[in-house]
Amino acid sequence: MAVRVRILGRGERLVEYRPGMRVIDVLRELGLLSNEYVVSRNGRVVAEDEEVSDGDELVLYPVVSGG
Amino acid sequence: MARCSVCGRPAVYVDRAGGVAFCEKHFLEYFDRKVRRTIRRFRLFRPRERIVVAVSGGKDSLALLHYLVRLSRRVPGWEVKALLVDEGIKGYREYTIKRFERVAGELGVEYRIVRFRDELGYTLDEIVRLGAERGLPYKPCTYCGVFRRYLMNKAAREMGATVVATGHNLDDIVQTYLMNVLGNDWEKVARLGPVSGPASHPRFVRKVKPFYEVLEKETTLYAVLHGLYDGFEECPYAPLGERWEIRRLINRLEEQRPGTKYSLLRSLLNALEILRRAGVAGDGEVRSCAICGEPSAHPVCRACLLRIELGILELSEEQLEKLPREAREMVLHALRLREKRRRRASGGAASPADRGRGDSGGAG
Repeated sequence: MAVRVRILGRGERLVEYRPGMRVIDVLRELGLLSNEYVVSRNGRVVAEDEEVSDGDELVLYPVVSGG
Repeated sequence: MARCSVCGRPAVYVDRAGGVAFCEKHFLEYFDRKVRRTIRRFRLFRPRERIVVAVSGGKDSLALLHYLVRLSRRVPGWEVKALLVDEGIKGYREYTIKRFERVAGELGVEYRIVRFRDELGYTLDEIVRLGAERGLPYKPCTYCGVFRRYLMNKAAREMGATVVATGHNLDDIVQTYLMNVLGNDWEKVARLGPVSGPASHPRFVRKVKPFYEVLEKETTLYAVLHGLYDGFEECPYAPLGERWEIRRLINRLEEQRPGTKYSLLRSLLNALEILRRAGVAGDGEVRSCAICGEPSAHPVCRACLLRIELGILELSEEQLEKLPREAREMVLHALRLREKRRRRASGGAASPADRGRGDSGGAG
């Protein structure tokens, strides 16, 4: 199964779930830096070390923007 | 799971440099303390101010507007209004304007939108095209930065502002710092304090940066928690700027060594003090532009010079004759440059438009 990741303004990605996986691991899997995103898990803002569950939906709010 | 260092509830934010974590409530308290400390420490506002918040409709400026409107409810001498400069970047600005108008409506704040098209006769998209046709060596961020600052100052003054607050955050500041260190431009570094501008020129409105010590991740979180961040747009010209690379570099360093950004800010504050003692003034001498009368570091301001180079401001022989000698020479030089580029462009030579200066004068 998988964790669904929606990056605001940049589409959706799926990351394969592994037991014990944390938000920071999901970001790393996608090659993203944790200081460049605010993450919400199933509608609640979470810190990077929060564990994720199979079937979760993460929304990533880019910190970095131009303009 | 990280827990709030204050109350033990699940954390929404971990400050890795400081070794603390906060839940939503305590993050917002931490944020408020931090901004109020900056305001106090650098004396950004006086007891009586007519504050105009310069907004783009992006998360940082909306967070600032939201924050200052709320803070002003506790300060009887403050009045807060908003100003948006619409450069006319298609596929970008129309969306951020919509969000800005929604938030301004919810906050019940008075606002004004000024447009490049109305004030200069052209949108930024048109100016960028004109510049490329005429072989001008500037990047889009240069035109945007110069004209935006020019119009922001003018419009804020017309709105009766005693001070303009911009949404620049710690990340913006240290990026600009590093860009100017790499360019060895210490006069520009000297302009990177939390308060900019000479109060002495009658047409100049003081600019302040209340988020000077706040990380961009923190302003973003503030915006998310207050429902100010419901869509993402990026300026299509941003990847052309030098800032893009520098930002990536600093963010990678921060990931490996938390606290890098705070170190860079401390380095900048030290540099500002050293520069001040050495007499390197960021503001320099301020005069009035001989053409438009707006405050300027030179006899003719950059906005007027750029308009001449672009061919969207023409002076008659008579007007030219009336200019003071130094100003006239600047204009004649710009006209000669324009003629040279025109000949080069019509001669079919490669356009040098992709070279030249970035936006190292200010943050997006």
